Amino acid sequence: MLFSYVLQFLPEEEAGSLLVNIFSKLSTRLEEACNSSLSIYCWLQVEARKIILEHIGGKGGGGQGTEYYSSLLQDASPEQQWVFRELFLNGRQKEELALQVGKDGAYIDNLLKESLVTIGKRLT
Amino acid sequence: MNIRNYIDSGILQNYALGLTSPAEVATLEKLLPLYPDLQDALWDWEMKLEQYAIQHQTPPPEGTWELIADRIRELPATRPAYGQNGHSNGQETKEKEEEYLSVKHHSSTIRVHKYWRPAFIIIFILSKIFLALSIYYYLQYKHTQKDIQSLQQQLPKANGPVQAAGK
Repeated sequence: MLFSYVLQFLPEEEAGSLLVNIFSKLSTRLEEACNSSLSIYCWLQVEARKIILEHIGGKGGGGQGTEYYSSLLQDASPEQQWVFRELFLNGRQKEELALQVGKDGAYIDNLLKESLVTIGKRLT
Repeated sequence: MNIRNYIDSGILQNYALGLTSPAEVATLEKLLPLYPDLQDALWDWEMKLEQYAIQHQTPPPEGTWELIADRIRELPATRPAYGQNGHSNGQETKEKEEEYLSVKHHSSTIRVHKYWRPAFIIIFILSKIFLALSIYYYLQYKHTQKDIQSLQQQLPKANGPVQAAGK
């Protein structure tokens, strides 16, 4: 299950080796997973994403892999898609995006919220 | 706080995807135990993400799970390396701590030596034998008591004809 999640950030050959790193790093934090307010799988995704973003950080961003959550954003506006992709797949900060488009943080927050609503509708 | 507005803000979706700031996480984690609706909404979203993950799973390249298993197996194997050189700096200590699986074990059971097992079995069997013997001897005792009672009742009757014959 986690491999398809990793694949949205990286190409297959790189995703495979990173999956090994993710599991070896996270296997020492099982207690943290059990104590989290998130389900084990969501905790795994969140922590895996941190490792992935750290890995791709120096290479100029992710989102080079397959579509996963992005495929659920087909009905969203290009702006909403861009905000989701930059925040989620590339790990950029809201402030950074706000600065880039010359708007405030609330504008980015709203676009993210709308993109998540779109994802939520496609998930049901 | 209007919890419905808070849920509608999309905070839970952000949280489950790892898009919240540490301050937002802290606030949410404080509120979760206080508002069942909030917890239910989070579970609902998590369930959707998990179902999506199940429906769209892709098997990893062949041999990946073996590599993961090998890497995890290597973790405890690195332990003696730290003890053998007799000294370690802070970095090594930190790495060492990260390599151990931290497991808190809360159990109401106790562990005893394996020799106690046959001892307990022998004690159990002996207790059953003693129980059976005590029941047997109790019944024997009751039976004897009855015999004595009936003999005592027969004794005056038997004494009557003997005394009459003597006269």
